[in-house]
Parts: sequence; C-alpha cells; structure tokens
Amino acid sequence: MKELTISSNAPGQRLFVLGNEAIARGAIEAGVQVVAAYPGTPSSEILGTLAGVARELDMYVEWSTNEKTAFEVALGASICGVRAMAAMKHVGVNVAHDPLMTASHIGARGGLVLVSADDPWAWSSQNEQDSRYIALQGYIPVLEPSSVQEAKDMMADAFRLSEEFGQLFMLRSVTRISHGRGDIVLGDISRERRKGSFEKDPDRLAYVPRVARINKPLMLQRFERIKKAVDTLSYNQLHMADRARLGIIACGLSYSYTLEAVKWLGVEDRVSILKIGTPHPLPEELIIRLLKSVEEVLVVEELDPFVELHVKAIVGEHNIAVEVHGKDVVPRIGELSTRKVTEAMATLIKCRPPVDFAALDRLEQEAVSLLPSRPPALCPGCSHRASFRAITTAAQRVAREYGDDVEPIYPGDIGCYTLALNPPQHAVDTCICMGGGFGLANGMAHVVEAPIIAHLGDSTFFHSGIPPLINAVYNKANITMVVLDNSATAMTGFQPHPGTGCTATGDEAVALKAEDVARACGVKFVEVVDPFDLKAATETIEKAIRFPGPAVVVSRGPCATIELREKRQAGEKVAPYYIDQDKCHPGCDACIKLLGCPAILKQADRTVIDAPLCTGCGLCAQVCPYKAITQE
Amino acid sequence: MVEEFNILLAGVGGQGVILMSELLGKAAIADGLQVRGSEILGMAVRGGSVTSIIRIGDDVHGPLIPQGKCDVLIGLEPSEALRDVSYLSKSGLVILNTTPIVPFTVSLGQGVYPALEQILEKLNDVASKVITLDATQTARDAGSMLAVNIVMLGALFGVELLPIRIATVKETIEARFPAKTAAANVKAFDLGYQACQQAVK
Repeated sequence: MKELTISSNAPGQRLFVLGNEAIARGAIEAGVQVVAAYPGTPSSEILGTLAGVARELDMYVEWSTNEKTAFEVALGASICGVRAMAAMKHVGVNVAHDPLMTASHIGARGGLVLVSADDPWAWSSQNEQDSRYIALQGYIPVLEPSSVQEAKDMMADAFRLSEEFGQLFMLRSVTRISHGRGDIVLGDISRERRKGSFEKDPDRLAYVPRVARINKPLMLQRFERIKKAVDTLSYNQLHMADRARLGIIACGLSYSYTLEAVKWLGVEDRVSILKIGTPHPLPEELIIRLLKSVEEVLVVEELDPFVELHVKAIVGEHNIAVEVHGKDVVPRIGELSTRKVTEAMATLIKCRPPVDFAALDRLEQEAVSLLPSRPPALCPGCSHRASFRAITTAAQRVAREYGDDVEPIYPGDIGCYTLALNPPQHAVDTCICMGGGFGLANGMAHVVEAPIIAHLGDSTFFHSGIPPLINAVYNKANITMVVLDNSATAMTGFQPHPGTGCTATGDEAVALKAEDVARACGVKFVEVVDPFDLKAATETIEKAIRFPGPAVVVSRGPCATIELREKRQAGEKVAPYYIDQDKCHPGCDACIKLLGCPAILKQADRTVIDAPLCTGCGLCAQVCPYKAITQE
Repeated sequence: MVEEFNILLAGVGGQGVILMSELLGKAAIADGLQVRGSEILGMAVRGGSVTSIIRIGDDVHGPLIPQGKCDVLIGLEPSEALRDVSYLSKSGLVILNTTPIVPFTVSLGQGVYPALEQILEKLNDVASKVITLDATQTARDAGSMLAVNIVMLGALFGVELLPIRIATVKETIEARFPAKTAAANVKAFDLGYQACQQAVK
C-alpha cells in the first residue's frame, strides 16, 4: 500500500499532521490554485508544505518578497477568478494591511483566504497582537479553529464561503494550532482547475474616491448577509445544560481548554457552553439564547477581549440581565491553557481547583532556580558570529574618537542575527519590526553623535530594507548598513528568497545581490566582505563607518547549518579545530568571551572544543592571542 | 479505550525531540488512537530548550498537558527534564538520559550546571519512579550518535505503559528512515527498550 501523504486523495483516511500541514491540506482539498507567503513563525510550514506538492497538484506557489506582495499576489489571482490564499504571521498582516483594507471592498471573485498565524506569548515574535482587530477594521470575516482537524475543515470551507458571499475571509490560527499536532480525517480533493481571466471592471477594481464610495455600501451588504448566516454555521455550537447557572463562550482553541476544564472540575452538567468558530461576525442569536438562559457568563478567548466586548454590547443592546466575565478572570497576556480556564471557572463557581496549582508553581520555580538558562544561540560556525566580531571591533575603534563615553549604536532587525542581542555580542540595540533597523538608524543619524551601524539579514533586506536604504541616500543619513548575507531565510527554516537563485518550488531564478541593489540605489560606499577573513572584514567595516554618508557592507558567509547539511550529504568530512593545551593560557578565555560559540566549552580549568559540534570555521583560531587553536 | 495518556518530551535543539514525537504520534494513530500535541519551534531550534507534547486518548482536546497531569516525562537531557518537573502527575514517571549537555551560558560564567545526583533527587521527590539510562552511549553502541531520541523511544516502550503496540512503532521507524540507517535505528530502539527493562528490574 502506498504511504498516505498530505496530497493523497484518500477521503476518510486518517493522517497525523502538524497544524500548518492541516491548513495546507484544507487548501488542497478546496482546490486552491495560487498560494503566496513570506516565512514567519508560526506560519511558515503552510507554504512549505504546499510548495512540496505544487507540481503534482498543478498549483502556483511562491515565496513572495514580503507579506504585502504575497497578499497582492493572491488578490490578483482572485480578481482573475481562481481560488487563492496568502499565509503569514500576525505581524506580517501589518505589512499587508494596506491592500487588505481595500481588498474587502472588492469582494472575491475566486475564493480568497488570508491565513494569519497569531503568536500568543510571542514565542517567536516582537509582540502578541490580536489580528482579529485588523479583520474587524476591514470587514473581513474570521474563522478560528479549535483543533487541528477543524483548522483543516475551516480552511477547505473558507474558499467556498468566500465565493458564496463574495468576500475575502481570514483564518486565524495561533501557535498551538499551527504548531500543534493531531490526527485529521482527510476529505475529498477538488481537482477543479480554472483558467484565470481578467474582466475589466474599474468601478469595482480601480479605487479612486468615487469607487470607494460605490463599493463601501456593497461591502456592508455582503457583511450583513454573512452576519445572518453565521448562526447556522457548524463552527458555532451551543450546548445547553439543564439548569446551568454559568454559561461559557469559548472562542477558537479556548474551546478545547474549556472542554477539558469542565471535565476536570466535574461540572459537565452544570455549565452551558457556546463554541465560537466565527469571532467576526459573531453568531448573535446563539449568544442571546445563551445569555438569556444563565445568570453569569464567562468569555474565554486568547489575548484581547474581542468577543467579550461584543458580548457586552449585545447584553446592553438587548438589556439582558446577566453578568459577563472575561478578562477579569482570564489572563489577557499569553496563551491560555486548561489550567488557566480551570482556575477562572473555579473562581466563578467558587470551588477548589482539582490540583494545588500554587504548589506546582513553587515546584517549578524551585527546579528552574537550580538550572542554568539555555537560550537559543548562534550556531557553531555561524557567519553572523564572525560578522558581529568584525562589526563590534570596528565600531568600538571609531567610537573612541567620538569621545570616551560614546558607544556605537546598533539598530538591529529580525532573524537569527537578533540573537546577537545576547552576550558576548551585545550588538542589537533595537529590534522593532522587519526592516526597522535601517529605518530607525535614519532617524538617529540626525540627532546623535555616535557611529550608527544598522544590520539586517539578506531576506529581511529584500523584504523591507530597501526603502529605508534609499531614504538614507536621499536624505543624507550618515549611517553604516550591514547586510548579514547567509543566503537563506535561516530562522524560519532556510526558505529561499530573491537573493538565493531559487524559487519556492525549486526552479532557478535570478539571484539578486544586495551590493548591486545598494549601488543602483545611489550608495557611494558599497563593499562585500568575507566575515571569516576577520582582519580584512573589520578594516572594511571601519572604512564604511568613517565614510561620510550612507555606506553599505555586505558580509557574506553561507548559513553554517545548510553548509554542514550539504557536506554531510556529499560525504565530506568536517575538520574540527582543537586547543593545544600547552599553548592555551588558563584564565584568558578570549575565545569564549569574544565569540560565545556553543562548541567551545570550559571543562574544569581547561578550555576545549567539542569536536562533534565544531564546523571548522576557524574564527576562534583568529581571535586566540596565543595561537593555541589549530586545525587537526 | 484510552481516556487520557500524556507524554512530555524535553530536550535540547538538535537532539531530535520533534522527530521522536512525530514517530510516537504516527504509531498511535496507526493503532487507531486519537492523538493531540504541540511543540515550540523557531527560536528553540538554535540549541535552546525544546519541549514537545504527545497526548493520547478520547478525552484529550487541547494541545497542552495541564500541569499535574503528565504520565511520562522523557528527558533526553537531565536538566531539561527537571525544568518540566511541575507537569508530572502524582503517579507520573520519568525516563532520563543521564548524559548532560551543558549550555554555553555556563562557559560564559552565567549559572552552574547542577550535579546529576541533585537533579535525580529533585525528580525523585516528585515522580513515582525515575528510570535512568545513558542513552547517548547506547546510541553510540547502536551505531548512530544521532539516535539518542530513538533509544529514548525504545526506553519509553520498555516501561510497558503505552497503549501502542511495539510492532507498530517499529514499522513507523522503519518507514521513516532510509534503508541504510533504518537498521541502526531499530537497533537503537531495541537497546533502549532493553536498558529500560533492566533499569526497572
């Protein structure tokens, strides 16, 4: 028997998948034809999965340069009548915000779905914003799954709904759905493939003011129809318990925690539960029925009180005598859990939690206090480590000439290199958003007297680094911009980008060079360095910092993880370095203090290199003052 | 019917924690069980702590193990097991690889790695039983330094609590690896299984 895969047309069969794979599967079942995304945790595997089966299933799949472009790609395809989607992390939706707000006016000819993967607790993000508010602003209906299975089902259905109501839909996932795992029951795969066609319709597609005024009422009418329909959608379900005093309204994944909490507390027969799968628009009739049947209601949802505010509005509008709880007992910050819902319910029901959670917290604190922290670190052999050694050495040299107490400023960005925030690099002073480092550097340059060295990775450069670079040229910002080019979108899983010469589906592409872009944008100082030639790289970066006006240095060294993988596959051996203990000066620790490489360890009073971890990059040999480190 | 069985896998980026949970989940559904789980990817990949969750049973809905409800805590690395000790249930069990991976923060002088005895003592305070094995050495014995996760998977089956058949998980392992490494991985599983059985005796 052939092994079941994500593209198997085997309705009824079960498959164990990652949530993002389930979302991809839903799109496959719906017959999606165009998919675009920019990688971002926790969303990246959606497009990665679809790219792997694009040829087989006759889909067009691309990694776009950024989320705005990704959404526009999907919108363009939808306008031409085919089913299309864009996937991104929550903060990526901010980048796509501009087209998104007008897209909802256009409606959807081909089913159009935006997937936003939110990240409560900001596991891998700069914030934990709630993307439902963006949907609210844009009149975009939202589907929010409670499980991996439902994520698949909703995604498949979203395209149908989008076409039925002629409106763009959003699927809101969260980290614990996208990076959750579960068994899903596969559905039928639609093999319908439409031929795209463009119909000229400027009154719907060309947004001059008059067209905005024509389309807003049409959008509102579409939204009203959707509002009437959600009460009967199967994603919203009301389970009434006889004589329940307490009702729970649970949105998305919170429903799973609620089911477990109710059982844990043993109050299944005393609580009515309304499962919400469409937080926007909400199923008002179901909500009113629940509100009228209980004395108290608890709204359980992750992050902001989005459903709660609407429920409170309904209570006011319909003058219902019921007390509404939500963020007064459920945390607004971070992920929810069965425990947090259990505690909130126990507070309202006035019963004891099934477990002494406070004691467990003390136990955890006690355990953690015994342990050294284990933060993520730049990998052994990472070219960024070499780049930062060169950047900080050069910057310190120049900063001294500005004055004794002047420190260089390092506006940083988002990628693996954000880890240089930590010791020993200490070379990330700001991290706000993609491309933000170059932008902030522009502002700082006009108000502070200090060397400003902004840095970002190659994928981030193409994503949003180019406009602030042009701004620096145009407005004469005296800054140094370093592109840390490791030829990959490494942090999110090594996806290709416009600089790598390869597309999402493995086709050859033009490999753009950051230095060519910088020169074309009018930067007068543009140099490329090999960071592992530490001395030369440091000298060039020093020249760049001293250059009056914007300067660009491309520090190019391939991602060590990719390089190591390729070497392994080719059967090549890695020649690790070792420390000659006769030459090593105990207590010097320069290699450790300057580099923080996970392959260099202290063992008792000796410093040693962990050979299986060493990639043979040789950076430590270059910083050792006693020439004690050599290759075997 | 299985109501709820919770497994927490704790280790360090690069040890194959995620692959181990994938194999477990696949084997569970092959045996007709319902599975839920989750993991944290992204930042954790770069040598940080990695935790993965596998929950089996018909009463399981959410992706996270409630604190105090973990049936088996598998530590691929001693300190990482201790980090998650508060999840254990009163009857919970720990299976521990005794080979530490000292984080680079210790070399930088930030924090001290505790003695193994201290970690074991703390785990023993909470767990109903702590089963130890040197999975790192066992993986080497099986012919693959990378197979620590498979040794630990074998050890997990060695406690004979799982509702999954051993034949099923072995088939899952064989299907997951290319032919030339499948044999070493099955051997790693068997050695882990035996090591656990001996430790239990």
